[in-house]
Amino acid sequence: MSRFNVINSRARRIDTPDKATGRAVFIDDMSLPGMLYGALVQSPVAHARIVGIDASAAAKLPGVKDIVTAKEAGMIKYGVSPARYDETLFCHDKVRYVGDEIAAVAAVDREIAQEAVSLIKVEYEELPAVFTVEEAMAAGAPQLHDEYPGNVCAEVHQEFGDVEKAFAECDLIRTTTFKNKRQDAAFIEPMGCIAAYDLSGRLTLYSSTQVPHYVQRTVAMVLGLDVGRVRVVKPYVGGGFGIKAAANSGEMAASLLSKRTGRPVKLTYSREQVFMFGRARHGFAHTMTTGVKKDGTLMALKHECYLDGGAYSSFGIATVYYAGSLLGGPYRLPNMKYDGFRVYNNKPACGAQRGHGGVAARAAWEQQLDMIAEELSIDPVDLRLKNMMQAGDTTCNDLNMSSLGMEECIEAVKDGSGWTSKKGKLPKGKGIGMACGFFVSGAGYPIYRSDTYHGTVVIKLTEDGGTALVYTASAEIGQGSDTTFAMIAAEALGVPLSSVRLASGDTDMGVDLGAYSSRQTLMTGHAVKEAAEDVKAQVLDVMADELDVPADKMDIKDGKIVFTAGDVDISALRTRYIKEHRGWIDNIEEGPLTFKEASRIAYLARGSIVGTGKYKPPELGGKFKGAAVGTSPAYGCSAQVVEVEVDMETGHIKIEKMTDAHDCGLAINKTSVEGQMHGSLSMGLGEALYEEVKFDEKGRVINSDLAEYKIPTSLDMPNVDTIIVESDEPNGPFGAKEVGEGAIMPTIPAILNAVYDATGVRIFELPLTPERVYMALKKAKKKNA
Amino acid sequence: MLLPKFDFHEPASVEEACQVMAEFKEKAKPLAGGTDLMVNMKKKIVSPEQIVSLGRIDTLKDLSRENGTLKIGACFTVADLAVSETVQKLVSALGSGGRALGSPLVRNLATIGGNIGSARPAADLPPSLMAYGARLSIESSRGSRELDIEKFFKGPGMTALAPDEVITAIHVDIPGPGAGAGYINIGVRRAQDCNIVNVASFLALDEKDGAVKTARIVMGSVGPTPMRAPTAEKVLVGSRPDASLFAEAAAAAEQDCSPILDFRGSAEYRRAMVGVLTRRTLEIALKEAQRG
Repeated sequence: MSRFNVINSRARRIDTPDKATGRAVFIDDMSLPGMLYGALVQSPVAHARIVGIDASAAAKLPGVKDIVTAKEAGMIKYGVSPARYDETLFCHDKVRYVGDEIAAVAAVDREIAQEAVSLIKVEYEELPAVFTVEEAMAAGAPQLHDEYPGNVCAEVHQEFGDVEKAFAECDLIRTTTFKNKRQDAAFIEPMGCIAAYDLSGRLTLYSSTQVPHYVQRTVAMVLGLDVGRVRVVKPYVGGGFGIKAAANSGEMAASLLSKRTGRPVKLTYSREQVFMFGRARHGFAHTMTTGVKKDGTLMALKHECYLDGGAYSSFGIATVYYAGSLLGGPYRLPNMKYDGFRVYNNKPACGAQRGHGGVAARAAWEQQLDMIAEELSIDPVDLRLKNMMQAGDTTCNDLNMSSLGMEECIEAVKDGSGWTSKKGKLPKGKGIGMACGFFVSGAGYPIYRSDTYHGTVVIKLTEDGGTALVYTASAEIGQGSDTTFAMIAAEALGVPLSSVRLASGDTDMGVDLGAYSSRQTLMTGHAVKEAAEDVKAQVLDVMADELDVPADKMDIKDGKIVFTAGDVDISALRTRYIKEHRGWIDNIEEGPLTFKEASRIAYLARGSIVGTGKYKPPELGGKFKGAAVGTSPAYGCSAQVVEVEVDMETGHIKIEKMTDAHDCGLAINKTSVEGQMHGSLSMGLGEALYEEVKFDEKGRVINSDLAEYKIPTSLDMPNVDTIIVESDEPNGPFGAKEVGEGAIMPTIPAILNAVYDATGVRIFELPLTPERVYMALKKAKKKNA
Repeated sequence: MLLPKFDFHEPASVEEACQVMAEFKEKAKPLAGGTDLMVNMKKKIVSPEQIVSLGRIDTLKDLSRENGTLKIGACFTVADLAVSETVQKLVSALGSGGRALGSPLVRNLATIGGNIGSARPAADLPPSLMAYGARLSIESSRGSRELDIEKFFKGPGMTALAPDEVITAIHVDIPGPGAGAGYINIGVRRAQDCNIVNVASFLALDEKDGAVKTARIVMGSVGPTPMRAPTAEKVLVGSRPDASLFAEAAAAAEQDCSPILDFRGSAEYRRAMVGVLTRRTLEIALKEAQRG
């Protein structure tokens, strides 16, 4: 029996009826009176000076209402991190990738807008372009940004402990390299927005975003508006995975066009534009050297990483830091050295994607750990159990594991998969592999430096009594956060879930940094809980006055007032409530005093009952440069076992079974937690086996659709056994922490390790397409022949 | 992406369809399931001014068996092909092709005639149809003709169809006892994928000694059209089928194909997979031929 009434259950999502019946409103479903359609003019070349823009033919096209270029938009630089604002809304001097925005038009319909785009003539003077890290870093390479010589967007150099000294004490030192490929998150809903600038000079921007707050700030800054005059509203969103975690050019272009025309402007991206816009997972190239003692004790890691960054910074500074810092755990690693370089080139910018910065690094290292385990004749499970951290440990880079169910996760997947009866005992072509990982429960600091709260929440009780209205600016993007927060509010207030109504995703409702870095359950959750406790205290305070019972001798549970120090006569209050409702037929005649009665009486005593909550993490992390990246009030962790069958003749990998255990602290909604685990595994499987954004020699994406960019289909997904491990996180609301991103961490390396177990061949480059596996098997065969 | 502008015709009979095609010729395109045509129109690869839908002509949706031949209407859907017991029992390799094509949503729309008419080198249905030696009924206002499917494909998207002609039916001779066929396709993932290689093999065995009497091996995705593997077939004919014969035929098939390198796969990998799939489809065909 759960000690909770609402949370820690499998409550049905509050958006289920809308989504199941198609009534949920997404941007594409919306239109406003007098609305215009916007379209972007994007560069067809990867690197060129803009010689001239001739929009005269487009301007003459009937139905075209406005055309804007850098001249109209201005040169205000923006980006994700204020440390690297390197974009302007429209290019003015040169274009840096195929898809770079040059102009935008607004017209009375979509067809005319697109025709106008085709009529805008841009004259380019083409410049030599670079498309890889190697090309971009070569001596004399063409430069993308004057401010960043050598095309180095950001570099990181960190050392914790003394790696060389530790290597001298090691019995075994191994070096491997590893490469993943650029990803696309393949969310179901492309970006889109409607900007509506009203007659009193206020902008309302409806957008498919993960971060209304950051979009509000960026749009206000670029358009030169007071933040208070910009309201961002997020309707239902069909996924984001990190790509929608910053303002995009479409949002700013539509806002500018709406401001100038005085009419609402809708601008949506096609699937091709989603690929052109990029901002998903970087391509990483890792070189890792790990030293261990004979008994498997981890001593030191020397790590070098190059990131294929694309034309602009986007989240890249954070990414290059995360790629190093997220190897600090979940194993005790006393010495770690990291050198990371994020490099510009003439492809779309890369940004953040589920497991930000850490996924490829984790894959590289967990595969290397398996290689070391094999050389030392230690079971991979035992090697990890030997080295894992315990709750309360701090990593060498100052990340504190305030709770860590790592051992429970490892044991759970070991038992759940039948590891002991399978490892080393499967026939050729079949294999089993495991890996672990961890991730932040919300970034410790906002993207811009500020003492701001990371989340504020307002809860108001309806004046008739009985319903709690929760207002949060957090972002439901499909992950189920609305349901989570309604559940937390109901639990903390002591009412059934049906007594809570929730509205979210609107900057008018408060500050919330949004759905990224797996932060909302912990951070917004805290604010919700505090707001609910605030209204509860106010109601009980009134009851204390009315009934002459101390407030600390009362509680609210399951919608009823509970008196903990003996029976209390409530008849006078009840009579008063009933008198308030003469003629109503649903008045309660007997039984305990209800929340409905109490909150009505509280209103009569004090007016509207409004409670507020807020959250920001305490100061976290070390004092070194970049110490903020990787800090979090809590860390989720996970372990996974994957079983595969490899067709030794064709190289096809069939994932037969996945067993995943994740420590999410207390699971607020168990079904949602499992949903995140399933989604992470599917995404990890796709990145491991199929996915790669491919370019031609001119820097154009050649697989910019979901036919040629291959994510797993239902036939590619195996049965998944999800095991929820619940540590009690002291820094989380009701003990809760993340699941949205951490769960992807072990997937890729567990697959890599299983493929090795099946084939005897190690592969150090993703994706493991049939052809790559076939070639690796063939090469190994030749070598052994 | 928006569709270009076009006029839409919805004839109720083959005759009427042929009249419209005759009137507009090159400017017209027949529309069956649209799973290929609509995508190419959105991408502006083709922009026909006249679209002639065949969707309302019910006679094109029939499957019937006459004497020893299966007649499949050009608008018979791939979804129906994938689940048809008749197809599975009589021409199983065609059923395998149907099940391999696209996703359930695509199969619900896609038709056998469309899969042939679009002439994609990696299409799922032509290899087995060629292996079975299928013939096409082709009609126009000028009359009708029958064409061996092998003579139909001229290159990627190019066929022997005149601008005013439409495919109306596919005829497949039902293999007798001692004959069988198999089809296998491979892509990167397990469904909804453009094939990297697809192969169909047909074997007919001599009743007396069990030696291979007829062999047809058709390789897809490794040339401008699905193509026969003549050397491999020659290896098989006259010999008793066994593992070493199939290995020899597979090696020959690898040399019979002319794969290109593109972003989906290298020529080396495609060639090697032709060998693997040739052997595996021959094994299926043999099993079917020997089941009695």
